[in-house]
Amino acid sequence: MRMKKFIAILSVVSMMAVAATGCGSSSDDAAQGGSDASGSDWDAASSITVVSREEGSGTRGAFTELFGVVDENDNDMTTLDAQVTNNTSVMMTTVSENEYAIGYISLGSLDESLVKAVKIDGAEATAENIENGSYKVSRPFNVAMKPDLDNAVATDFMAFIMSTEGQQVVADEGYIPVSDVQAYAGEAPEGSCVVGGSSSVSPLMEKLIEAYGEVNPNGKIELQTSDSTTGMTSAIEGSYDIGMASRELKEDEASQLEGTVIATDGIAVIVNQANPTDDLSVDQVKSIYLGDVTTWDAI
Amino acid sequence: MKSKAWTEKFMQGVFFVAACASVLAVALICIFLFANGIPAMSKIGFVKFITGTQWRPNSEMFGILPMIVGSLYVTAGAIIFGVPIGILTSVFMAMYCPKQIYKPLKAATELLAGIPSVIYGFFGLVVVVPLIREFGTALHSAGIVKNPGNGNSILTASLILGMMILPTIIGTTESAMRAVPSHYYEGSLALGATKERSIFRVIIPAAKSGVIAGIVLGIGRAIGETMAVIMIVGNQARLTSSILDGIRTLTGNIVIEMGYATGLHREALIATGVVLFVFILIINLSVALLKRGADHE
Amino acid sequence: MSNKMTFGDKFRTYLKHPGSFIVMLLVMLASIITFAVLIFLIAYILINGLPHITPSLFSLEYTSENASVVPALVNTIIMTLLSLLIAVPFGIFSAIFLVEYASRGNKFVEVIRLTTETLSGIPSIVYGLFGMLFFVNALGWGFSLLAGAFTMAIMILPLIMRTTEEALKAVPDSFREGSFGLGAGKLRTVFRIVLPSAIPGVLAGVILAIGRIVGETAALMYTSGTVAQIPDSIMGSGRTLALHMYNLSSEGLYMDQAYATAVILLVLVVGINALSSVIARKLTAV
Repeated sequence: MRMKKFIAILSVVSMMAVAATGCGSSSDDAAQGGSDASGSDWDAASSITVVSREEGSGTRGAFTELFGVVDENDNDMTTLDAQVTNNTSVMMTTVSENEYAIGYISLGSLDESLVKAVKIDGAEATAENIENGSYKVSRPFNVAMKPDLDNAVATDFMAFIMSTEGQQVVADEGYIPVSDVQAYAGEAPEGSCVVGGSSSVSPLMEKLIEAYGEVNPNGKIELQTSDSTTGMTSAIEGSYDIGMASRELKEDEASQLEGTVIATDGIAVIVNQANPTDDLSVDQVKSIYLGDVTTWDAI
Repeated sequence: MKSKAWTEKFMQGVFFVAACASVLAVALICIFLFANGIPAMSKIGFVKFITGTQWRPNSEMFGILPMIVGSLYVTAGAIIFGVPIGILTSVFMAMYCPKQIYKPLKAATELLAGIPSVIYGFFGLVVVVPLIREFGTALHSAGIVKNPGNGNSILTASLILGMMILPTIIGTTESAMRAVPSHYYEGSLALGATKERSIFRVIIPAAKSGVIAGIVLGIGRAIGETMAVIMIVGNQARLTSSILDGIRTLTGNIVIEMGYATGLHREALIATGVVLFVFILIINLSVALLKRGADHE
Repeated sequence: MSNKMTFGDKFRTYLKHPGSFIVMLLVMLASIITFAVLIFLIAYILINGLPHITPSLFSLEYTSENASVVPALVNTIIMTLLSLLIAVPFGIFSAIFLVEYASRGNKFVEVIRLTTETLSGIPSIVYGLFGMLFFVNALGWGFSLLAGAFTMAIMILPLIMRTTEEALKAVPDSFREGSFGLGAGKLRTVFRIVLPSAIPGVLAGVILAIGRIVGETAALMYTSGTVAQIPDSIMGSGRTLALHMYNLSSEGLYMDQAYATAVILLVLVVGINALSSVIARKLTAV
């Protein structure tokens, strides 16, 4: 009898929970419809859902530094109540589903049909504004290789990236290219090389590799998507020929590798499309991420 | 004749060596994890590491108590949702299900096991998270809870994990129930018990060890699940008392930060893996002890 | 069921035993929830994925334009075969040792059982960490299919061991005695008599293992790497379908293709399950 009772009680509890969420569902549909229409039921008194990237990510590092979400010793002070994700699409989906959310992503991944990028201090998040300096939230895309690396394809590929043709690809993909480059004059060597590292740099690198394949069909380049640190350590260990990082090289990495900035990427601060906020100042973003401001009407 | 005896001996040796493989694997896993994790623990201080409530790697604060609690919360939640529904569904599959629809249903539960966790994650993010957010807001306006939460919560993760452990529980429980000799059931019916009484008082007790094995497997899957959970649980590394708040799990802590971590931070993450591993060891050992106790009965 | 009861009989029984009636309702409700969730989930995948299945998704070469699944599909097959090649012999032989050779109450057997159970409980992320520390770094294999396959092999070993063990145990002792009585040696008995009758059970384990390999992400991310091409050798790196899907979805640029990949993954799982039941029927019929 004990078993039966136990099971019965447990089931009743879970049924109730399921039923309760079921009730939630109907009201949810209504709310969703409203937000799609005009956002008329936007309630500025609601608390802000702060979404952040994981500690140590290149994007978060650049974001906290540029917005000053740090204490006097430059330690990251992002509020502990912030949701954390390590995935750009989770970040975008969360913000697009939650009317009161705020987050930040790479400008190259921004999908304006899902979320809205806000202006920072009046400047819109565009490649031009980053280039002319009015939009300040950006970070470098680095690639690094060993100074004594003996791989003709890797060297030639690097030359290609840093050429007019390579930087054209960078610009086409919505990132900010490096200025003063020469036309590619490679010798199209035969062979293969491995490029790997940061998942933020990966989409750009993929395009670069494809463009390179057109000018040098003899070179075979393998792309590993992992993360900045794996990229750098693997380049040092030799399992990658070229490592990619979406952050600055750390000291111990810089001592063993030769880093090159191949592009600059903006960081867009995103909110839900139902959110009437279009413009935020650096200080407002800072206070949101420090946890000083917790509702939208308090900004 | 002699060569035959030799072959027998040789093959016996081969079997023995093969059997040692799993022992070797566990030993290797232990050695490599502990060798990489223990130094970090001693650097941080074992007690500080386990009971610290602050996780700020950039400020050299490594306390994983929130993650331990988080893993316990979502696993318990998954059990509350998954186990009763799983067991009752396997009762249906084993005892009630009409023959014509059994095959497709069985195939369907197997399919549930084959869906990659990333899918569960996105499903949770797009479908369940908004539901829970509305649920929380409704409770909030009714004055039942103080903080409505934003949907990415312990409750959401529990629901999704509950779904994810269903196939594990259904599979093992159903086969355990089918393995109970049919005369148990028929005998009980003949004594005048109703069908339900016979199932729950005769068959399930007889299939107890299989049912428990299924639950344990389910617990293992829930505590170890990573990709789906990190998408829906919020990942805030802090303690909380409300199931509508987000929290971070041990597995989430590893996957989220492993990518960028260097030095002590990276070692601390491997140490998190060690803690997780020890958790699993404890669960398995206690189940083994339970089983032994049951065998002696 | 032989006890044919009319609806009226059932109704009267339930009137007399309201408790039983409630339990029956709960059973039905739970099953409905389970299958509703399942249908919902599958519908969700199909609705998001089906419209994006295009011919270009099946190009032979992966490019950032077509996000082709073919290389990932081939890698998945290679990975599955490799892992099975490593794990199945070990799994079956260990099970044979445990069931046919080890004496009852042997301390060593208990150690093996305990370690197997431990293995089956280890989260895949821990396998991933271990695989990275051991196969990739310590053995110097780098990110490769081989490192991934060995990691997966350890992961599925307990699954195959347990199912084989159960299957072997289910073979009646009379089979063995008969074989011995006819003068066959132990080895011959095991391979000619016991193992063949246990094949459907072994196969069930193998199918479960395949499902686990096909759906795995966390463990492979750190071991087999994420190159979206078919590698030249098993020492090369390549990503499987599940990992491919994870990568497509992670930067938010290929969500449509990610869902389409999920549909293909689902079809693959259905295919494997169907194949297994066909094989099992063939084997049991013989």
